[in-house]
Amino acid sequence: MGQKILAYLEERVRIRALMSFLLDEPIPGGSRWAYIPGSMVLFVLILQFVTGMMLAFYYGGTPDHAWDSVNYIDHLTYRGFPVGRLIRGIHFWGSSIMVIAVGLHLLQVFLWGAYKRPREIMWLIGTVLFALTMIAAFSGYLLPWDERAYWGTIVGTNMIGLVPVVGEILKAAIRGGVGLGALTLSHFFTIHTMILPTLFILFVILHMVIFRRVGPAGPFSGSPEQNEATKDTFYPRQVLMDSFGMLGVFILILVLALFRPPGLESVANPSNAAYSPTPAWYFDWIFQLLKMVRPEIVGVVGLPVLIGIVLVFLPFIDKKPVRSPFRRPISVLSTLFILGAMLILSLMAEHGYKKLVDVDRASMQRGQVVFNHSGCLGCHAVFGKGGKIGPDLSEEGLVGHPLSWLEVQFVNSKANFPDSIMPNFTFLTKQQQHDLAMYLSSLGRMGWPDPTKAQP
Amino acid sequence: MREEVTYRVGIPVMDLRGETLGRMEKVLFSASLHHVTGIVVRSLESLRIIDLDRVNSVTASEIRTSLTESDWHASPIFDPSQYEEVPPWFFPPGYRIEMGALMTIKPLDVRLGGEAGALSRRAFMGRSVGIVAAAIGLTLLVPIGGYIMAAATTPVTDTWRDLGVKLLDLPVDEPVQKAFRAVAVSGWMRVPEERSVWLIRHTGESDRWSRSADQTKNIDSPLERRNSDPRLTVLSPICPHLGCAPQWHNGQKLFICPCHHSVYELNGKRVSGPAPRPMDQLPVRIGPDGSISVIYEQFAIGIAAKVRLA
Repeated sequence: MGQKILAYLEERVRIRALMSFLLDEPIPGGSRWAYIPGSMVLFVLILQFVTGMMLAFYYGGTPDHAWDSVNYIDHLTYRGFPVGRLIRGIHFWGSSIMVIAVGLHLLQVFLWGAYKRPREIMWLIGTVLFALTMIAAFSGYLLPWDERAYWGTIVGTNMIGLVPVVGEILKAAIRGGVGLGALTLSHFFTIHTMILPTLFILFVILHMVIFRRVGPAGPFSGSPEQNEATKDTFYPRQVLMDSFGMLGVFILILVLALFRPPGLESVANPSNAAYSPTPAWYFDWIFQLLKMVRPEIVGVVGLPVLIGIVLVFLPFIDKKPVRSPFRRPISVLSTLFILGAMLILSLMAEHGYKKLVDVDRASMQRGQVVFNHSGCLGCHAVFGKGGKIGPDLSEEGLVGHPLSWLEVQFVNSKANFPDSIMPNFTFLTKQQQHDLAMYLSSLGRMGWPDPTKAQP
Repeated sequence: MREEVTYRVGIPVMDLRGETLGRMEKVLFSASLHHVTGIVVRSLESLRIIDLDRVNSVTASEIRTSLTESDWHASPIFDPSQYEEVPPWFFPPGYRIEMGALMTIKPLDVRLGGEAGALSRRAFMGRSVGIVAAAIGLTLLVPIGGYIMAAATTPVTDTWRDLGVKLLDLPVDEPVQKAFRAVAVSGWMRVPEERSVWLIRHTGESDRWSRSADQTKNIDSPLERRNSDPRLTVLSPICPHLGCAPQWHNGQKLFICPCHHSVYELNGKRVSGPAPRPMDQLPVRIGPDGSISVIYEQFAIGIAAKVRLA
């Protein structure tokens, strides 16, 4: 059967020659695990394409529906299995893993000296793909239209506004006006789902075509004769290594998607002045730098532009043919130094963020019962229900109060606010205080109504 | 050996006289010849290979061979460096593998039987790539199928809605199209919608139109059977042929669908045209004050059975 299909295709599309062209690419010096990051990037990109298309099936790209549609996806189950949360989780974690994979690929190519003549153009295309990855990560951040997305994008687009001369007009063009609104969301959706994928496909093809024209660089050591003697074809050994790498990446993303599903904060609220936005982890270092560098423009524009310039001009400045990282100590060490600095800045940024409480769902549900039965709603409002005497608690979970602070607040409010008029709820047991604190920490972050159970 | 054989690790291997030589340790599988060529037997002092030609019988409890004592000592010593361990799923069809009970060994030498038909290292890698690709593909495609089906299989739900019209205000045996406001749920969105039904009042059971065609043909579901009234027939405005809207023609006293000319009588009975069943009767309740409420059910289009969309 297989042979018959093969013979049929052989006659019509000359499949053997085609497969041979695709698979019998010689790899000087043999297959290696070190060569898999590029394939990992392609794999995660395809994963993002597939899950992204699935998300677009149910997504509503307007400010009055985007959040609802993402909440709907989060609640979508099939035979009890949370398929929606899984698909969104894969896309969410896929973006982080993609950034890591691109970074590893870039680093490997740099360390191997594989960007040098004759692979300068391939490297340039690669830097474009790197930029596309970062733009995709940034533009996808807004789409759920929750507090995190809204405020993160406010800050991100304001940074674009700091660019001299063209900044303001660029910002207005991206936002589709002065503020963030319906046009911003449809702009970002179009960029994220139409422009970027088109460019991705185009530049990935270019990257691959050039790769096949010049061939893989091979190891940085060893004579050409040695590498020729130990050469290997792409199929099967390197393909097998790549596929094991993909399996590993896939399992990693699945585990993250299943056990750390992406959250959904309350719907974007432009009047929430208390919200402190934090960027995605891969922009942490810029966030931290902005706190340290004055004027901001240096950090905002200067650094990314500097990185861009270095990446673009690297193969044209560094023209020496020597490829071994051990014989290029200055460029390798300075790169590792910059990476180390970025890592430290990121850790500092993460350390500076308010830690939101890790909510335990069982405790949260018990706490909700305590909340509803202890008279809290007499003074406090939650999602439009309740009194107006105390502060609205709908987004209390995003404020960042630790559990200990909340537990004191219930029984001795004056300890936190000397002028507080809140009664002391001393009848609450320790367990009830803990559960109530869990429930309050969840407000604005989870426990949204299930739209798939909606009645007409 | 053509028939299926199960090799068990640890069972005793006997010589010609029935004396135990040792216990079976491994099975030797030739990649090039594509079948088992021998077994490795562990005795107290050595690991030796016994050619499959010398094996007389293999049962679940013992292996009998035609070796003599001196043959056994002349058997080659097993050298692990000449062989490669492979996982059980590597075995070709026709060999039964007991997971964990069987060690399979593939000789490194693929030249034995020529390249043709051999499960070479290359083919093994290719097969592994295929398995990995299939594993990833299936793990991704199954949730995607569920994701698409999750919305596709969401039940169409509706509740009783008061139409805001009293029974006694309706003309007798003359259809009135009554519009009402409803809410359609589509995924994450609740869409206000204008819907309409045909209301046909009857004088009572003696009225010849009081039995709808659906009741006569007995294709109603329990919901519709429980909620019907001889004083009123409620018909869906959706033509069961292809979903257009049949209109009442007072002169001819017929419902006629403008799209494909399905023609129905006052009780929904199909007179002519391509429609596969009568116009759909909907469940109705009439309150003591004559108020009318209905459930706006929707049914599968184009089939003879009245299947509720759910």
